[in-house]
Amino acid sequence: MKCPSSTAACFPENFSQTLRYRHRIIIQIRNFFDTRGYVAVDTPVRVKSPGVDPYIDAVNAGAGYYLAPSPELHMKRLLCLDIDRLYQITHAFRENEQGQHHNCEFMMLEWYRKGTDYAGIMEETEELILYITKEESLPISSFRFPFEKVAVDELYVKCADWRPSADWNEDRYFHDWVEKIDPYLKTKEGLFICDFPEPLAALSKPKEDNGKLCQRFELFIKGIEIANAYTELTDYEEHGRRFKNAREKRRQMGKDPYHIDEEFMRMISGGLPECGGIALGIDRLIMAMLAIDHIDHVQTFPFSRL
Amino acid sequence: MIDTNAIRKNLKIKIDGDPYVVVDFQFVKPGKGQAFTRTKMKNMITGNMIDKTYRSGEKLEEATVDEREMIFLYSQGSSFTFMDNTSYDQIELSTEQIGNAKNFLVDNMEVKVSFFNERPIEIVLPNFVELEIVSTEPAVKGDTVTGATKPAELSTGHTVNVPLFLESGEWIVVDTRTGEYVERVKK
Repeated sequence: MKCPSSTAACFPENFSQTLRYRHRIIIQIRNFFDTRGYVAVDTPVRVKSPGVDPYIDAVNAGAGYYLAPSPELHMKRLLCLDIDRLYQITHAFRENEQGQHHNCEFMMLEWYRKGTDYAGIMEETEELILYITKEESLPISSFRFPFEKVAVDELYVKCADWRPSADWNEDRYFHDWVEKIDPYLKTKEGLFICDFPEPLAALSKPKEDNGKLCQRFELFIKGIEIANAYTELTDYEEHGRRFKNAREKRRQMGKDPYHIDEEFMRMISGGLPECGGIALGIDRLIMAMLAIDHIDHVQTFPFSRL
Repeated sequence: MIDTNAIRKNLKIKIDGDPYVVVDFQFVKPGKGQAFTRTKMKNMITGNMIDKTYRSGEKLEEATVDEREMIFLYSQGSSFTFMDNTSYDQIELSTEQIGNAKNFLVDNMEVKVSFFNERPIEIVLPNFVELEIVSTEPAVKGDTVTGATKPAELSTGHTVNVPLFLESGEWIVVDTRTGEYVERVKK
């Protein structure tokens, strides 16, 4: 049945169809993980510690709590149980992020697998996307597989004429990303960017043959950042150092440092099991798959329609 | 001073003493990195477009631009004269400052004039204006092919594409933002 036009007018064109496709893509994601023996888990949205990324402003939820900008630390706590593969589809929240590819609240897919590294996760990510595109009822533009791969240093040498890992300069790095790398990425279909400079390791492991690089990749499709993955850091002491550095960084930026997640640290005091993990933005994946150019047109109630 | 979070289309800011208007902007945030806002802005005096990227949290100075309702009186050579509805003050703007608006400007039209530091800098037309067709090919009767158009010269000297059934002497509504024909006016 058709809804009255006054109601439909608030939504983008053909929005009922977009919602059906969105539903179908999410079902495909769940099927993919279910058939591979992943356990779907559920972690809290209201949390005590918002994590380790100094550039993410967590949404304040009052009484010392925040809305989780990512389920990472809680999911990693679950890795200490006897479950080898776990995934979650949840809502994540980030203050001051609003734009063509950003909405303060968004849907995140995150998964972890023991006994693998970022290369294994990269393969699985490609398999997931291939699996979704095989669903015949979806009008998905066919992607060329396998996706291209490029190292961060290679990308900067090509587009900005310098090598970040050799000559680290954070301001220059991000400035060039926005001015030179980002426009280049828009010309690419599926592209894995790997081996980030160590200062951007977040919670990933350093590379064994070169400590200035870390085992981290990001997936871009047509210039949209879709996913971020690591060979997960396992060392307890190093976790402590990374948290401390992130706190220091926030102080330097004049922002409140986030408190260290003590429960998480206790759980991994014997080390985190060897594993790979990834966070993937579902809204953005849907944008890329349906060739829709604004996140507001794939989210049901984005900020602009609240 | 305002924050980069306040950047919106049509926000007016001051750079090196000149007023600029934000024409387009984009929030960009590389993973694990600081956020930026990329903007495209127009210098409101010279009309030049510039691209400027701000880091999140950078401070911008807002440009105070006043708008006054005025009536277009007449043009002479390259000068256009407007009058304030209440004070009867008259001001002049040049062809460059008027820009494309001259295509739709007719005597006695009510417009908004923007002032920066007491200086008139640009005019904003109503979104829809009624204009007379002064010359076009004769109407083709019975030709109802959807979307077929022909050029028509308006009383301002500007030419727009109109449907085939319209004749010289008829009045039409034009959208001044797109410059396109909207509908026929029954007079």
